[in-house]
Amino acid sequence: MRHSKKIQLSLCVALLIAAAACRGNTGGTTGTAGTTGTAAVRVTDVTLGRSLGGDKAITDRTETFKPTDTFYASVTTEGAATSATLRAKWLFEDGQLVDESTRTIAPNNLERTEFHVSKTDGWPAGKYKVEVFLNDQSAGTKTFEVR
Amino acid sequence: MGIFDGFGKKKDEKPRADFSNVQSGSSTTSAVPPAAGPGPDFRPTGTTGTEQSYTVVAGDSLSKIAKRFYGDANKWPRIHEANRDQIKNPDLIHPGQKLRIPGA
Repeated sequence: MRHSKKIQLSLCVALLIAAAACRGNTGGTTGTAGTTGTAAVRVTDVTLGRSLGGDKAITDRTETFKPTDTFYASVTTEGAATSATLRAKWLFEDGQLVDESTRTIAPNNLERTEFHVSKTDGWPAGKYKVEVFLNDQSAGTKTFEVR
Repeated sequence: MGIFDGFGKKKDEKPRADFSNVQSGSSTTSAVPPAAGPGPDFRPTGTTGTEQSYTVVAGDSLSKIAKRFYGDANKWPRIHEANRDQIKNPDLIHPGQKLRIPGA
């Protein structure tokens, strides 16, 4: 009996130590995502379309494409940083990778970055998705279709 | 029918689409960070970068790709330079390799 009380006491002490350690970790996390100078940058919009203007904004917005179209994704970012990384991951149907492109930028307030993909022999019909990452954190997803 | 036919596959699984010949690119209104070193960046803000990427398909050569992107096959060393990390021999590129194509 005395032996089982000792075990219970040891467990309680271990739990208290673990709880204190958890509180310490929470207090130390500041949400800077580990990259200096990029905390202020954020993705505010992702738009899709068939063509692009000189300001990298979509001029012909659509979420339904033809097999011969080029897919354009225009990513709007706000905030300033000496370096930030944008990545566009294009996926087909059940997650088959179509393409993945990365671009490093040094944004200064409002900026637009476009990613595009084309396929000379035409896109297979079906549902597609583009997921945009900012510094490896998912920042937005758009789904679209080829008919 | 072989003994492994259908093994590990769902009954209605569709054949996977071929995306090996997809061409992609990107550009931005943002300045591009300096490649390395803490030196000052004299580039004006608003510079438009136009690097693209290209996946090599069977029958490609660097000069063929240079002709496609720059309209001049003799500009292949530019692509070679940008991909030194993965192209040791410029006469030897492989289907599926993803190359960086610097702006013209």
